[in-house]
Amino acid sequence: MAHRAEPPDGGWGWMVVLSAFFQSALVFGVLRSFGVFFVELVAAFEEQAARVSWIASIGIAVQQFGSPVGSALSTKYGPRPVVMAGGILAASGMLLASLATSLTHLYLSIGLLSGSGWALTFTPTMACLSRYFSRRRSLATGLALTGVGLSSFAFAPLFQWLVSHYAWRGALLLVSALSLHLVACGALLRPLSLREDPVMGGPGTQLTSLLHHGPFLRYTAALTLINTGYFIPYVHLMAHLQDLDWDPLSAAFLLSVAAISDLVGRVASGWLGDAVPGPVARLLMLWTTLTGVSLALFPVARTPTVLMALAVAYGFTSGALTPVAFSVLPELVGTGRIYCGLGLVQMVESIGGLLGAPLSGYLRDVTGNYTVSFVVAGAFLLAGSAILITLPRFCSSASTSKPRDLVTEAVDTKVSLTKEGLGED
Amino acid sequence: MRALPGLRGLRGPPSLQLPLLLLCLLAAVRRGWADGNTTGAKATGPSWGGRARLGPASPLTTLPIREEMMTKYSNLSLESHNISLTEQSSVPVEKNITLERPSRIELTCNFTASGDVNSVNVTWKKGDEQLTNYCINATGKNLYTQYMFTIINSNQMGNYSCFFEEEKKQRGTFNFRVPEVQGKNKPLVTYVGDSTVLICKCQHCSPLNWTWYSSNGSIQVPVDVHVNDKYAINGTNANETRLKIMQLSEDDKGSYWCHAVFQLGESQMHVELVVLSYLVPLKPFLGIVVEVIILVAIILFCEMYTQKKKMHTDDGKEFEQVEQLKSDDSNGVENNAPRHRKSESVSQ
Repeated sequence: MAHRAEPPDGGWGWMVVLSAFFQSALVFGVLRSFGVFFVELVAAFEEQAARVSWIASIGIAVQQFGSPVGSALSTKYGPRPVVMAGGILAASGMLLASLATSLTHLYLSIGLLSGSGWALTFTPTMACLSRYFSRRRSLATGLALTGVGLSSFAFAPLFQWLVSHYAWRGALLLVSALSLHLVACGALLRPLSLREDPVMGGPGTQLTSLLHHGPFLRYTAALTLINTGYFIPYVHLMAHLQDLDWDPLSAAFLLSVAAISDLVGRVASGWLGDAVPGPVARLLMLWTTLTGVSLALFPVARTPTVLMALAVAYGFTSGALTPVAFSVLPELVGTGRIYCGLGLVQMVESIGGLLGAPLSGYLRDVTGNYTVSFVVAGAFLLAGSAILITLPRFCSSASTSKPRDLVTEAVDTKVSLTKEGLGED
Repeated sequence: MRALPGLRGLRGPPSLQLPLLLLCLLAAVRRGWADGNTTGAKATGPSWGGRARLGPASPLTTLPIREEMMTKYSNLSLESHNISLTEQSSVPVEKNITLERPSRIELTCNFTASGDVNSVNVTWKKGDEQLTNYCINATGKNLYTQYMFTIINSNQMGNYSCFFEEEKKQRGTFNFRVPEVQGKNKPLVTYVGDSTVLICKCQHCSPLNWTWYSSNGSIQVPVDVHVNDKYAINGTNANETRLKIMQLSEDDKGSYWCHAVFQLGESQMHVELVVLSYLVPLKPFLGIVVEVIILVAIILFCEMYTQKKKMHTDDGKEFEQVEQLKSDDSNGVENNAPRHRKSESVSQ
């Protein structure tokens, strides 16, 4: 088999972008819009809201912690069979969920089965995308990740319509059919063999080599810190606005504005990441610092205009850091080890994501308002960006790194799901 | 309709209410007596009993009855309501009052006259019926009129209006209703074999009783709770009722009505239940599955086709295989391809 020296940077790569777009939509869009089912399930099973929220939490946790498994399998067998298998798993999880007669069934079907399906799809796809592009990697990643934002807009009303016509059982059945398109997306992932591949060895060797790689570990630490702070506004912004006596409609409007600027930020940053020479880690640090600053300024803002401006700024900068975060990793570990690297980072990052929202909630309970929460979130982001300075070749103008967004995406989903959970209590 | 001087309306502290009330009644009675049997000699409801009908506002008979009523029902709560009108009010002013329990009612209308206060004609009506026994009082340009009565059952519920006639007739209406029941506006969708709960809620009220009816068409049939394990009615609070229906079948679909029974009337709400069979969403599901299979087949066939084309046209060129297993590094074999062999070094 021929091994390419350089990633194709186009050609079939754009089909991979399309596949990644639909995959991020189908994995994270579904997870984010799961809140629509929340109310129905609480009524149908007559359970407490907290217990029903566990369904989504288990799904996200399995997706995040299972990422290394997906990565390892893709290293061995290539992304295509792994993603297609993941798609079948995710769809069958939803299918079984529609037949559920108790909450435990849902934990196992959606949480475990669909969660493992999602674990097998997302990470391999993003890694595959990184292998297909080098010069336009950030742009490709940014475009692919817009799938998450757009699907949240589309799926929430769609799921609501499905639930009102078919009740939650029928709606889950049809969402299962929707998730089956992951298999079609997986079919698009043509295997690509690059020059580094044979040298890299199997997944076990790659994992051990990664764990000894200093910059990789520092980068993982930085991303974990970033993740801890990143989600807090998604979870608590609505509540913070209500504390300031905003009415729910205006607050929801503000969140939509932030979501739109998030989308714009992703594409703009993707383009910028490729256009600007030098390590992409610098851009990541820029966006992370700006996000941290805008977060820390949130408590200071009182007037609606300032809050709206801050929301736009936060949305743009947080969206901007996602594709760049994906771009840094290939630069650090090389395209040969990208599958394993991505999986590992995603797993560790998720710890930050899991801790971030409850920590923020705890701070709010202790202090009575969200000021400390937002400032702490900003501090986490700034700390993460400070660690980024220690990455190699940061200060010199060497060539680019690869973006890593997997973790932030998982966090996005987790946050909006938790937000839905909180909103329904 | 002249207001008596010295009377300042019944705004005094509660301890003065009863004597002021009696004075007001006395005034009303005297006025009624003076006018003879013109308007408002009719009884306002069964609470006044047959005796009030004896004659047009016969002072000796109506006064003791009112006093009797007042003392008998003095343990009921008092509700006071107020409407302000001016000459310029273009739309009739309405006030909606929800009432659950029997109460004593005090309705006051306040009118700002533009001309002579004494030329304003004041009347009270319940629906179309004229009322008597109301007081009128004037201070400066402001005219106050007050009507007091008791509501003890559903017959006394309705619309009470005060009219002020100067040049235009101004009207203020007090609408008395029992509290409303909230249910779901959208139909409840369920599947065969599931169980569901229909909820009716009433905010800030506690009905005496709740009853459930099911209806096909216009006839309401009570829900038989004693059919084994099919229905269960329970409510966690007094202001809520839940009808749990188990083992749903297609026959259970239709409209269900919940009635909240109060001392002063009933209010009802309906909930629509739709029971679907599992085949209903299964059809679009299978359609989508077929579509995905076709899509995957197209993608894979396209790829195999382009591979075959490459194999035939680029003879001896290297090609990426469709197989999913990564093969070993076999690039030594087909070496004459002018494609992407930049350097021979395999190390990175």
